[in-house]
Formats: sequence, structure tokens, C-alpha cells
Amino acid sequence: MKEKTFESALEKLELIVKELEAGDVDLDNAIKKYTEAMSLAKFCSDKLKIATDKINKIITDSGEIKEFKTEE
Amino acid sequence: MNRNYLHISEINEYIKSIIDSDPFLNKVFLCGEISNFKNHTRGHLYFTLKDDESRISAVMFESSARNLGFIPEDGMNVLVEGRISCYKATGSYQIYVEKMELDGIGKLFIEYEKLKKKLEKEGLFKAENKKIIPKYPSKIGVITAPTGAAVKDIMSTIKRRYPICEVILFPALVQGNDAKEDIVRQLKRADEYGFDTIILGRGGGSIEDLWAFNEEIVARAIYEAKTPIISGVGHETDFTIADFVADLRAPTPTGAAEMAVPTIMDVTTLIDNFVIRANKNIKNMVNQKFILLERFKRSYILKNPLSMYEIKEQKLDLLIDNLNKTTRNLISNIENKYNMITSSYVLKNPLSLIENKTVKFDLLVKSIKLLNPLGVLEKGYSIVTSNEKTIKDIKNIKKGSVIDVRLHKGSLKAEVMEVNK
Repeated sequence: MKEKTFESALEKLELIVKELEAGDVDLDNAIKKYTEAMSLAKFCSDKLKIATDKINKIITDSGEIKEFKTEE
Repeated sequence: MNRNYLHISEINEYIKSIIDSDPFLNKVFLCGEISNFKNHTRGHLYFTLKDDESRISAVMFESSARNLGFIPEDGMNVLVEGRISCYKATGSYQIYVEKMELDGIGKLFIEYEKLKKKLEKEGLFKAENKKIIPKYPSKIGVITAPTGAAVKDIMSTIKRRYPICEVILFPALVQGNDAKEDIVRQLKRADEYGFDTIILGRGGGSIEDLWAFNEEIVARAIYEAKTPIISGVGHETDFTIADFVADLRAPTPTGAAEMAVPTIMDVTTLIDNFVIRANKNIKNMVNQKFILLERFKRSYILKNPLSMYEIKEQKLDLLIDNLNKTTRNLISNIENKYNMITSSYVLKNPLSLIENKTVKFDLLVKSIKLLNPLGVLEKGYSIVTSNEKTIKDIKNIKKGSVIDVRLHKGSLKAEVMEVNK
């Protein structure tokens, strides 16, 4: 399976919440979906927390990627 | 002193021939500002070209003027190509303009309009060709100059709003003759990197400074890129061709960064909101089921399980009653039938059957009697026979024939006295 991206997880989360709100799921299914929603929400929140402060980078003509600092 | 006086037309003719024979004056290139512009009804243009110190009359005939890409106005800086000649009637020399184009900004503006029209016609600006900008990008490529305000604005804005996004700068010349090729080169490189979004930016400047973003090759490179591109060139009022082709136009480099990424706060709020909605929903659902369960539990049957038997007992009683009633009905029906039969007249009076028959018999005897041929004799009729044969007519009967007559009581023999026909 493809690696789960933040965007796809967030989209899935929204979809599940809408499904739950539509109300045409039975309780067993709803609980299953709810559990999935919670794990997706956690996945998304974690992504927001973990990767804080990515370093800005610059690519050289030779294809080398270096740290890039803007002059203050 | 021998003085040779010339006519004016002769001297003007002479001067004109001198000028016309000069190869340099046959093709001159001039730059200057238009003044005293007059558009003759027949399509010829008359004006003066000037610089700060000097001026020259100019005429552009309709045959040349019809190909002009713009409408000349006083104050316009133009580049002209033509020949210098003398107009005999006034004795003034002037330039006969064959080609004229706008100089500097004016020229750029015309080119801009021309390219814009061309690309628009080709469909490069069409909304349906625009790619969707990902809402939550994880990798963004930035194409701009590595120095200056633009790169700083873009990078600091992304970092402030959405620090989890990786940003890679593809440094490019954004000004000067080589800028367009450099931008195209970096655009093509960045497009191969699998970015979620590419930001193409440049800080503010004059129209000449921003010119690279109005170049056709840049426009086409943007159009052909697979990655969604946000343009943020110059200030809010600057609209470059690149802006029209880009999938999304931002007013400034900072604006481009803002459009490229959400803020962490917004996303967190969004996720929290989803969680709240999911929680609320599942809680509601469980509550509803719980209420339903409670209602069932509180139902009379479950609370009084014996009542289940009561109902059944009642039903049984009813059934037994029904059975009894039906049986009774059946019996009484049969009884009725029996009674009806036993109480019938015939069975009660069997003799009546015989009586009936006797009466009938008597009646029959009477009728038989009535039918007895001898019966009529009682009433006084007689039967006449001859040789044992009943006589019905006078045939074979003659005077003197002996006939037998039978009466009711007794018979007699007689002789016929007379026969009448």
C-alpha cells in the first residue's frame, strides 16, 4: 500500500466524519469507523507536531541540496 | 558682376537632388518623441520628432501607416526608420517614415498585449487547464532569486504558517537578458522533483525589471509543468503573463506563500473539529441505542414475564370457547335436521300415503269407466252389429237384412225395413 500522506489521511478523516453524520451506518460499523477516525486524527496531529521546523534548503546547479539561510 | 538669379523652385529642386543622392540620408534610424501629431483624413500621418534640443518634421504615408501596431500620440517615444528628403513646395526637409515602433516601455507594453492576446487565444489562461493547488503540501519548490526580499518573504511566511513543509529553493536570475532562460531551466528542474506546489516569485520592480515574467518561453514552461504553480510577481497591481498562465496568481511573493500553505493552527482546529464531530456523533448514536434498549427493557412483557402466559391462557380460553360453540352448533344443526325429518307428515301419518293412493285409484277407475265403450249404453245409446261387425254406415245393409242391436240391458234381433241414403 502507498504510504499514507497527511493530505489523504485528513481527507479520509473528513469523509468518515461526514459518513457518521449522515447516520446511515449501523452501530458496529459506526464504532469501526469512529475508531478509524480517531487513529486518523492522531496520525494527522502527530504529523503536525513531529516535523516542526523543517530547514530551508537550496539546490545547486549540480543538484546538491544544502541548508539555505536568508540574510537578515 | 554676372549675377545668375535662380527661381525658388530651382534651388529647392537642387537641394532635393543633393539630399536624395546622399546614401546615408536614404536610410536613417531615428529615435525621438512625437509632437504636433496630426492624423490626416486620408490616412497619412504628419508629426514632429524631437529631442531635448532639436526637431524634425515627419510624414508617414498611409501605405506605411496601415501596418502600425499602435496609435501614435504626442509624447510617445518612438523608433523610426525612413529617408530624409526635401519638400519642394515649402523648402523644408523632413523624414519620410517607413517603419515606426514604440521605444522602451511603450514597446514592451505593445509586446505584452500582443503576447497576452496570442496565448489567451491558444487557451493557456483557461480555468479548465488550471491545476488544483494541494491544500496540505509537504514539499514546495521555490523559484526566485536567492537574494532579496522575495525569497525571504516566501520562506519566512511558509515557516511561520506551516513549518512542517519542506521548502527547496531553485535559485534563478529574475532580471536581465538571461533571466527568462534561467527561470525556464529551474522550472523544468523543479517540475521533475515531485513537489506538491511550485512558487514562482519575484519582488516588485519596473515593467522592465519584471519583463522575464512576460516572456513567451516562461509562459509556455509554466503551462507545460506537471506541478501546480503559484505565481507571486511584483506588487498587487502588477499582472504579468506568468500570472495569467499560472494555476494560481498571488498578488505578491508573500501572498504566494500564504496561498501555498495553511497555518498549523487552522489545520489543528480542523482536526479538532473533526474529532469533536465524530465524538458527538458516536455518543449520540450509542445514546440512541441505549434509550431504545431501555425502552425494550421497560416493556410490560419483559417486566412481567408471567403476563406472557396470561395472554396465552386467555387465548386458550377463547379457543376452547370457540371450539365448544362450534361443536354445539354442529350438534344442534344435526338435531334440527333429524327433528325435521322425524316430524315430517309422511312419517307421522304413514297411512296418508295409502289414502292418497286409494283416492287416486278410485279416480282412475272412474275415468276408466267413462272410457268403457259399453258405458255409453247406460245413457240410452245402442250398438248395431251385423255378422259380429259394428255397423257404421248403410253399405252392405239392405231392406230385410237382419241386424243385432245391443242395449244397456239385453239385446234384440231386428229386420231392416227401409234404407235411406
